[in-house]
Amino acid sequence: MKTIIIGSGLGGLLSAAKLSKAGYEVEIFERLPIIGGRFTNIPYQGFQLSTGALHMIPHGPEGPLSQLLKEVGADVEIIRRKPVSVIRIPRNKKDIDYKFGHKDIIFEDFKIPFSLLNRLKLIYYIATTRKNPPTGQSFEEWCRKHIPQDWTYRISDAFFGWALSLKGADVPVEEAFAIIENLYHFGGPGVPMGGCKGVTDALVDIITSNGGTIHTSTEVTGLKLDNDKVTAVIVDGVEHEADLIISDIGHPLTAKLIGTETNVSGMDEYVHKSKDLKPSAGIKICLSSDKPLIGHGGVLLTPYAKRVNGICEVTNVDPSLAPAGKHLTMSHQCVHWSDLDNLDREIELGLEDLRDIFAGKEYEVLLIQSYSNDWPVNRSPSGADLKNRTPMSNLFVVGDGAKGKGGIEVEGIALGVKNCMQNILME
Amino acid sequence: MKSGECNMKVNKNCVGCGQCAAFCKFGAIEIRGKASFTSACIECRACAAYCPVKAIEA
Repeated sequence: MKTIIIGSGLGGLLSAAKLSKAGYEVEIFERLPIIGGRFTNIPYQGFQLSTGALHMIPHGPEGPLSQLLKEVGADVEIIRRKPVSVIRIPRNKKDIDYKFGHKDIIFEDFKIPFSLLNRLKLIYYIATTRKNPPTGQSFEEWCRKHIPQDWTYRISDAFFGWALSLKGADVPVEEAFAIIENLYHFGGPGVPMGGCKGVTDALVDIITSNGGTIHTSTEVTGLKLDNDKVTAVIVDGVEHEADLIISDIGHPLTAKLIGTETNVSGMDEYVHKSKDLKPSAGIKICLSSDKPLIGHGGVLLTPYAKRVNGICEVTNVDPSLAPAGKHLTMSHQCVHWSDLDNLDREIELGLEDLRDIFAGKEYEVLLIQSYSNDWPVNRSPSGADLKNRTPMSNLFVVGDGAKGKGGIEVEGIALGVKNCMQNILME
Repeated sequence: MKSGECNMKVNKNCVGCGQCAAFCKFGAIEIRGKASFTSACIECRACAAYCPVKAIEA
């Protein structure tokens, strides 16, 4: 079965690894000169920065991505070290920022800042919502009804800002609870050795050793259609025939490739639905320092910052991501869609946060990277993802525009690929 | 910098991901929400290929 994959992001590579292992003849076309999409490294002043993701796997060595990597035989070491996740709160209870000092608590102690009543409620809700998860509202709406307290909104915005680049008000409660359930089940994040590229390189090895090919700087500009089937992809005016097509460029761009001239049923609805997806946006600030700024390999959530949701210092786990004697620290902040026109201000607020959070410490800003629109944090905001199918029967979409339920970023990509491969390999 | 010093243009597609800056051999691109070229640019156009949103025009 001849398969063509459009795009070599993580979703495309995972699909290629899985299909080539199952005996499919796989060919990947990648538009950029580099492989890995928003999940690879970019060397910068001796540091291994990244094209997108923060060199972390949300559920570490036991999550869906790690499982899928093992399944295809990709050799990646994902290290989870304690503390896995830490929350920074102001030193004095009455403060609402970090200006007068801070203290760090481990994530498991997130209940401590709640009132006694809310702590009791929380125990009750943790027990009851696992059996009957709430529906039909945003996570924030649910919180306002059940655990109304400033801390509730702060910790949920920090967590979902870090994990999904969304505010609690923009996360459907169903998705939020599915994510919380996965956290219980799979545990917290880990660092892949070698960073994002450690993962994508391992997948490239598997794909090529299974006989697959990857072309870089090669853009697919069109599809050749026959009724509800794609028969070929068009590259530089040349048709490349295929039986199966996997698109890793998200639903809206895939819909554009199909075009409007087809009369296949469901196309209008598909175009409409894919246009409705609002990609999540965010800002990553990369810092260099001689001494560690965080001092551990977990996530530091910052619920009392103005914009920054969380920070990680991956060099505490993999020192090779920075030059000898240096550390690489990266912060992430969600950018709400209404603030996209004012990125300068959002960046300035993020930088101010870092000055407060790391007051008295020396560091240098290496690079400020922002993500939105056609190169976003997630092509589909979590909880609104469309499934893998398209109106064309042999064309499927994978990647961060078609994540599986409850999957944080790359875990969602892995779950989406798993669903998609089940569809394909069962047929 | 003065306009006209460098003919490289950044269109509205730019999201500020910094990929162009990282691959520029001359350190001629600054990133802050959006890419901008400095006077160090020699117009080699290498950056354009790395742009994921076709934002760099020459």
